[in-house]
Amino acid sequence: MSSTAKLEPQEPIGAYAAERPLIELRNVSKTFGSVKALSDLEVAIQPGELVTVVGPSGCGKSTLFNILAGLEEPDPGNILRLKGKSSSASDLLGKVSFMPQRDLLLPWRNVIDNAILALEVEGMSRTEARKQAREMLPEFGLAGFEAQYPNQLSGGMRQRVALMRTFLFKRDLMLLDEPFGALDALTRTMMQRWLLDVWQKHKRTVLFITHDVDEAIFLGDRVLVMTARPGKVKLEQVVDLPRPRKADIVTSSEFIALKKTLLEAIEEESMKSFQVSGH
Amino acid sequence: MSGIKASAASLPVFSTGRVYAAIKPILWLTLGLAVIEATVVLFEIRPYYLPRPSAIAANIVATPGAYISGLWRTVLETALGFVAGSVFGVAIAIVFHRWTLLRELFFPLFVVSQTIPVIAFGAVVVLWFGNTLFAKAVISFYISFLPVTVNTLLGFNSVDPRQVQLMRSFGAKDGQILRRIYLPAALPQLFVALKLASSLALVGAIVGEWFGDTTGLGVLLLQAMYNENVVGIWATIVVSACLGMGLYSLVALAERRIVFWGNEQ
Repeated sequence: MSSTAKLEPQEPIGAYAAERPLIELRNVSKTFGSVKALSDLEVAIQPGELVTVVGPSGCGKSTLFNILAGLEEPDPGNILRLKGKSSSASDLLGKVSFMPQRDLLLPWRNVIDNAILALEVEGMSRTEARKQAREMLPEFGLAGFEAQYPNQLSGGMRQRVALMRTFLFKRDLMLLDEPFGALDALTRTMMQRWLLDVWQKHKRTVLFITHDVDEAIFLGDRVLVMTARPGKVKLEQVVDLPRPRKADIVTSSEFIALKKTLLEAIEEESMKSFQVSGH
Repeated sequence: MSGIKASAASLPVFSTGRVYAAIKPILWLTLGLAVIEATVVLFEIRPYYLPRPSAIAANIVATPGAYISGLWRTVLETALGFVAGSVFGVAIAIVFHRWTLLRELFFPLFVVSQTIPVIAFGAVVVLWFGNTLFAKAVISFYISFLPVTVNTLLGFNSVDPRQVQLMRSFGAKDGQILRRIYLPAALPQLFVALKLASSLALVGAIVGEWFGDTTGLGVLLLQAMYNENVVGIWATIVVSACLGMGLYSLVALAERRIVFWGNEQ
């Protein structure tokens, strides 16, 4: 539905090369009143990558996500390219599958009908959408639960329903905002392993926010460490651990070395943000 | 053998529980009526102040036709006013929610309109719409729509803005968000108002009939009053009470069916 009043002409199909980033942000800043949340942020994500983002709290991670989800417009003067085509944030509405921190399941819809919410919005018939969702249930560990309502589910299950809703909304880029943040440690590691399985099978591009460094390394191809406010990318760390990753990888020396580097970077920023808020 | 044994063992336990739950209200009602009956007889209360419940019941049984036709008429007026009031109330809430300017302009007017006693309007409504069923429904409508509007707006405000953002990120249009998020989210609050509106609509219909009509519970009340037919007054009160409780229970039943998730958000 986007008008073709954009400066750049539409890319011919096929010109989109694998080396070209799926999404690219340059000089992206965002100011709320007197608070500068993001400052000259630069991020590029290749197709099929799983990029994790860590940073001290209040570093503008969520603002970055809202921009990528099309919910917030960055300050003027930014460059935002989706598949090489320059866009405004609102063009991204409906182009990115976004999963917020809370599961936000609708209490009056059962598991299946919550999962197909995005498909319904797209205009798919309920029968067809339910059929697609039903096929995905076993993979999400929800077989036999399709008729349950959210208040009958555990936290981990609710999160899986929310993830299923995100996966069913088939878009090139998936944004996951601390999806496992509210889960207990054991459930969380199970969910991480499971997410990697699903991701490898579906070949999606994922941007994953977390404040858990272990999680960031375990899942990511690359880890982006953000600075304290105003947020920008402080460190871009490639995680060259082989895939598929086993649970015991977290005790390997490579993993520990990566963790050390990342923790140092985060520590430095956390100290800064404390000093800023201290005076 | 074991099947018979099990059913023999469980039958009394189950059936008393179920049956008791079903007859409990009737049991208490009968008991209450018996107490009133005994009080009236015992203290020799004159029928002018309080007739015996059995006399009231006898009156209804003796002339059921008048009560049934009156009840039917009032039910129609109430139902029409209630449904119209509810639909209008929700529609206005949607308009006020989407266009805050309209809300600021007209909401105070709506509130003021409700401070004018409906009785003051009754005569005018009958002059405008004639001595018709429709005129009574208009009065019912008039006093039942505002609680619906107010509570629907309250329900809309309870929607989590992140929920709306999520829908927007799916590319949802306003209408889709309204139908899939706002309206269902407002249902628990809406039903609180509907229960209230069902009682108000009945009051509207009965009061409306006082401005001139030939059938209806309100008419029966007036006639009984003019004839000093105390038993008739009480009989009409009983029929009206049954109607009020019936309407309320219907709405409450619908609520239990539709808003099964309660207030969990």
